[in-house]
Amino acid sequence: MINQKGAGEGEEDNSSSSPFVDDQEKKEEILTIIDNLADGLMVFNKEGKLSLINPAAQKIFELKKEILGKSIVEFSNFPNLKNLFYLLGKEIKEVFRKELEITKNLILEITSLPLLKEEKKLGSLIILHDITREKIVERMKTEFVSISAHQLRTPLSEIKWTLETLAKEKLGKLTKEQKEILEKAYDSNKRMLILVDDLLDVVKIEEGRRLYKLTFSNLEEVIQSVIESYQEKIKEKQIKFEFRVSSKKLPKIKIDVEKMSLVIQNLLDNAIRYNLPGGMITITLNSTEKEIEFSIEDSGIGIPEDQQQNVFEKFFRGSNAVKMETEGNGLGLFIVKNIIEAHNGKIWFQSKEGKGTTFYFKLPLK
Amino acid sequence: MAKILLIEDEKTLRFLIVQTLTQEGFEVEEAVDGEEGIQKLKNNKPDLILLDLVLPGMNGFEVLSKIKKDSELESIPVVILSNLGQEEEIKKGMNLGATDYLIKAHFTLDQIVARIKKFLK
Repeated sequence: MINQKGAGEGEEDNSSSSPFVDDQEKKEEILTIIDNLADGLMVFNKEGKLSLINPAAQKIFELKKEILGKSIVEFSNFPNLKNLFYLLGKEIKEVFRKELEITKNLILEITSLPLLKEEKKLGSLIILHDITREKIVERMKTEFVSISAHQLRTPLSEIKWTLETLAKEKLGKLTKEQKEILEKAYDSNKRMLILVDDLLDVVKIEEGRRLYKLTFSNLEEVIQSVIESYQEKIKEKQIKFEFRVSSKKLPKIKIDVEKMSLVIQNLLDNAIRYNLPGGMITITLNSTEKEIEFSIEDSGIGIPEDQQQNVFEKFFRGSNAVKMETEGNGLGLFIVKNIIEAHNGKIWFQSKEGKGTTFYFKLPLK
Repeated sequence: MAKILLIEDEKTLRFLIVQTLTQEGFEVEEAVDGEEGIQKLKNNKPDLILLDLVLPGMNGFEVLSKIKKDSELESIPVVILSNLGQEEEIKKGMNLGATDYLIKAHFTLDQIVARIKKFLK
């Protein structure tokens, strides 16, 4: 890779002939490359003392060459290097692409690797990659999402409350027809508000900046609390509902409770919405040593076979689903899939049109 | 009769909220921005404050931190009523000492009244 002279010459023999005239030239060429790298490089020797620092790294930390020969422990005395020391520790542990904020306007991604030669450790190599610009863009995106959400929601909530005030006859009596039409408008407006929320969710998921608050939690309890909130709808549709949990105690699992509730909500909501009155829904929860498996079976309208490959796509809705329920935006399962995958899980389904659908997901315990 | 101070710059929203609260038997004082809000707050101490966040001039977060730094006012419950609803914004509001954070679009007026009543007991 380093060889540029050999480009036009016989390419077969580049293994035998050295591209360099002698060691001195080789050394200089490598140093030139290191000096010109855009990423900062630092090398610590076996004794944990700094033996090399390239100009990019010096610039990042605003350092002079005097830093050479200093041990990592001494870094704690330099304001710009303090955080690097806290990250790496005195034994200079390995890290891979860890974010480190040096100042508000300087954010680095740090990688630390052992320098190995025939399995002998010669020291450590630290790579400093400046990601300040990416971070700024990310911040701007967050701001943009926040502002658009606000701008969209403000007129919609004004409409919502106006219709509510009128329909509840707080500003005067209405005829039956007037009331009915206001209620319809209220429902349409509500759909718009839900759509705004869903779009925000999609934006966040696609950005990959969804903040996961991972905690060890009991998935059964999460499911139970979602079921509670759907009791009324289940009763209304006279659905025979069952929640089966394997008899042995389920291990706790590291999940984002809020996002996982959203998953269960979406799956249960679909199972109810696209079911027939008097139908059935069964949720099961089982665990093996390595994973927890969830399933939700319904006796609803099913998904037509020719459309099954699109189920997890954004804005997809089954043709039979649209006929049955005009409401719905086709974002639920897209969001569900992203959340499950962000937890390193897998989601799939089986469905037969007119018979029903079963969705499954698996989450790893580690 | 409980007194509520509403700080909200949108005229229609203000009208709708005032209408609802008055019918529920509350005494409502209105302010169109943060400065007016703080002034009214000092002259006539309310039992609860309903606070919007996006306001002309001083924003709602600033109003909230001013209230919470004032020993005379800090005990008054402040309910944020805004359409900003990102996690960071909710956290910021709660950390500054808000009693509750309601996203306008997610609540009906009647639900808001129910919340308020809870905090006034």
